[in-house]
Amino acid sequence: MGIVLAVISGKGGVGKTTTTANVGLGIAMNGKKCVVVDFDIGQRNLDMILGLENRVVYDIIQVMDEEVGLKQALIKSKMDDNLYFLAASQTKDKTVLDSKKIKKLIDSLSDEFEFVILDAPAGIESGYEHTIEFADSAIIVVNPEVSSIRDADRAIGILDSKSQKVKDGSEVKKYLIINRINAEMVQSGEMLASEDILDILSIPLIGKIPEDKGIVDASNQGKPIILDKKSPAGQAYRRISTRLCGEIVDLMDIESVKSGFLTKIKGIFQ
Amino acid sequence: MQTKQFSIKVCEVNLIDESEFISYFNKNYTLFKNHLISINGDISQKIEEYLNEKELKYIVNIELPKTKNQNRVNKNITPVESKENKELKELENKQKKSFTVLDTLIRSGRELNIEGDLLLLNRVNSGATITTDGNLIITKIVDGSIRCNGNFMMLKASSKANIIFHDVEVDNSFLKERLNRVELKNNEIIVTPVLKEINWV
Repeated sequence: MGIVLAVISGKGGVGKTTTTANVGLGIAMNGKKCVVVDFDIGQRNLDMILGLENRVVYDIIQVMDEEVGLKQALIKSKMDDNLYFLAASQTKDKTVLDSKKIKKLIDSLSDEFEFVILDAPAGIESGYEHTIEFADSAIIVVNPEVSSIRDADRAIGILDSKSQKVKDGSEVKKYLIINRINAEMVQSGEMLASEDILDILSIPLIGKIPEDKGIVDASNQGKPIILDKKSPAGQAYRRISTRLCGEIVDLMDIESVKSGFLTKIKGIFQ
Repeated sequence: MQTKQFSIKVCEVNLIDESEFISYFNKNYTLFKNHLISINGDISQKIEEYLNEKELKYIVNIELPKTKNQNRVNKNITPVESKENKELKELENKQKKSFTVLDTLIRSGRELNIEGDLLLLNRVNSGATITTDGNLIITKIVDGSIRCNGNFMMLKASSKANIIFHDVEVDNSFLKERLNRVELKNNEIIVTPVLKEINWV
């Protein structure tokens, strides 16, 4: 049985889908067989970020309704042989989801793959509840700002009360990713520090990702930033993926301002 | 002529068995030491000695003037005591039941309604609400909203928190940084900072 991992955030636009794509690819690059599933029914995005837009033929709803087989609907990525993708429906909406069908789908996916990563929709209504229902663990993505923290807090609360694992008496493992950290703003006190966020949410941190302009372009091109070895965000995603595969990687300090040669010269003239 | 009028407590007993009489008065001596004992029946020397030794005042075979609540005292004294005990126990149980200790993080969106007192050993996040009828102590920082109707509350709150004590909003600026005691005295809300750092074990 593989690990079922839901990527959640509560608030929209904090980087759930980007994280799903990069972590999924990162895990596949670590040699684990991995499938990423878009659960954002009606607003699918993950296919574009993975560069698989033109290859989607069948979607998750058709698989759940048994119109097509699971093998037909799974798309194998060209970026890594271990990465597969299951698209969300763009025409249906979240109300078509049904617990029994979801359980059946997730069971058959976790039989075949070592990692099943579910990209949750923003918000906390039925679509979100169905995504977390059968998850073993969850990655919570936050930005260092108050609204994102509060929404994530609420999403964790629902995770702790509505998931099947909690109902069975065990616990859903939770990992926190702090996304879009701007070192200068943290230093000047404009951005929440990681310690404060960890204090409020009190779940273990699995990685911090710095703000990176390259992400927008990477998403538009359909090439996840993790493929760019020079990008700081890509490196951060590599470390997170390796940690999720069970290896220990030290946390990097991305919050102190780098004092490179150029910044020193700039400092003299300021 | 000068007269004085006062009521005294009388304990009326029918003397049948000597040893029963003595054991009864041994047991309830404190109860009857200031009573006048009215004994109906033949009084033996042994009983006389016993009564003199205990310095109990007594009368023998004298018909007392009848009043409405005569005879009642003797029968009722023991039940009255047990009733009091019962009430005390009930009160104790009630207090035990209405005291809650929690060590869970109160996340956004949670609403806690506590009927009695609450001791919370974790933080209250922004967007959570806690309402108590009794007293409230929170050991970590509060970002959410608090409604307390007890005698006092002790907490540390950030500027984001919304604290209402007996339907009056408490000024947040007092509550920052360290633990504060908020209480109602003469219809006035008094906030006193707890100066010594408390080490919660």
